Amino acid sequence: MFDYLIFGTFVGLLFHGIHRKVIARIQGRPGPPIWQEILHTLKFSFKQTWIPKTASQTLFVWVVLVAIGIWSAALVVLVTRGSLLLLFGIYLLHKIVEHGMGLSSGSPYGKFGAIRSVMSAASELPLFATVGAIYLFTGSMMLTDILAWQTEHGPLLVFAFPAAVALYVVILSKMHYSPFAIIESKEIVSGNMTEHFGVWRAGLEVAFGLKTYVLLYAFVLLFLGPLPFLLVLALMLLLLLSLSFVCAFSPMLSPYDTVTVQSLTMGIVAVYIVIVGVLFA
Amino acid sequence: MFELPVTTIEGPELFVLEFGDIVNYFTVYTAVLFTFALLFTILVIISRPERQVDFAFGGDAFYTKDITPGQFRFQRFMALACGMATLGAMMSGDVFNFTLFTSMVGITNIGIVAAYRNRHVLNAAFQYGIVAMIATVPLFGSAAIILATTGTLSMWALFGPAIAVPLVAKIFLVLGVMGEGMAPFYVAKAEITRAPGAPYVLMIHVSSLLLFLRVVEIVISM
Repeated sequence: MFDYLIFGTFVGLLFHGIHRKVIARIQGRPGPPIWQEILHTLKFSFKQTWIPKTASQTLFVWVVLVAIGIWSAALVVLVTRGSLLLLFGIYLLHKIVEHGMGLSSGSPYGKFGAIRSVMSAASELPLFATVGAIYLFTGSMMLTDILAWQTEHGPLLVFAFPAAVALYVVILSKMHYSPFAIIESKEIVSGNMTEHFGVWRAGLEVAFGLKTYVLLYAFVLLFLGPLPFLLVLALMLLLLLSLSFVCAFSPMLSPYDTVTVQSLTMGIVAVYIVIVGVLFA
Repeated sequence: MFELPVTTIEGPELFVLEFGDIVNYFTVYTAVLFTFALLFTILVIISRPERQVDFAFGGDAFYTKDITPGQFRFQRFMALACGMATLGAMMSGDVFNFTLFTSMVGITNIGIVAAYRNRHVLNAAFQYGIVAMIATVPLFGSAAIILATTGTLSMWALFGPAIAVPLVAKIFLVLGVMGEGMAPFYVAKAEITRAPGAPYVLMIHVSSLLLFLRVVEIVISM
């Protein structure tokens, strides 16, 4: 399993680099090399590190470990084809990490990032809608059953397209430079990550790399079914490129607009689920 | 020996602790939630609060907020109680016990907020108290409806295909948990920016989120 984690981290960070490169090229800038995020992580690992005097020291360090822990667990769930509900739970637990990261430092920028993170809890609602729709179709939360259902009936992308759109919005919400990335908006410096630097930032980069890998991997598995691994990687890259295009062309929304768009997405998918539920009943 | 009727939602059963007809249990899903709650309960015990920095508007001045020993002790006690109640809710196999633990989470959450002596924060705590009190009606109402219609409160029986739980009871249960797990209300107000005590304030979020995740599992499985 350790090799999966190393591979997932490496690919996730490489995807972050590609994401930045694509956004830069669309905006007419040369952009950093695609391995820049890997270099960043290595660089931060050897930077001088300390904990701010105003911080809640244990929590400040703890959230970094929890971030790595939960996304490692999420990758294990995907690889072992565990429960989708567990994956959903882990995704929600990431909210605690975002919140704790900002609260723990004592910095007002971190605190505002943390509050924006919790305010944008609406970004989790579309995921709940996705899980509900998938359960209605497949009758199971286990990834093995969901993949088996797709082998028999075809990709869920066709049967549950609105649910796929909802998950796409969820992934978009968590991408750097996305229109929904209000927690790391520049008017609050780096938001909840402002005070985490050095080894702590390296740890967070690792966790976020894993997160990107897990979310893209989950999308392909959930909506396109079991495919050869190289094809899965290629599809993940395609998905990432589409997200980069959206990020490059969209301005950062205000916090309340973010919540509105995400809630509307949830509302539309909820109506879809009710219709599907009635049809299945 | 009990057998969990549904394993296609939360994974296989891992552990069962039987107290007569009350059967607490772990599945892969609830074990992960329990572990997470345990981690943050330990964190509450061992960590000290941050010294929140505030800027004075209209100038370059800033100041840090200090937490008095009395407030520190009370907040930590409440956060610890909140963690214990969350742990109970994560492994409970009985709907009534789950609702009891949920209401205890609501009470302790209000305590965490109300420890800070600031007029705005105390006003907010009062309002959360009203929401939490009102939420007990659908919360315990759901347990009452389930008992009246099915004759049992054991999740082991309710998760089985033989028993149909009324939709209204499920909706009430979700509404009750939403009212008691007050993170969404708390964060929607500016008071959260005023109250220091990160590890304890975070416990409000942890408990609300874990309760929500547990109730999703219960409602889907019933």
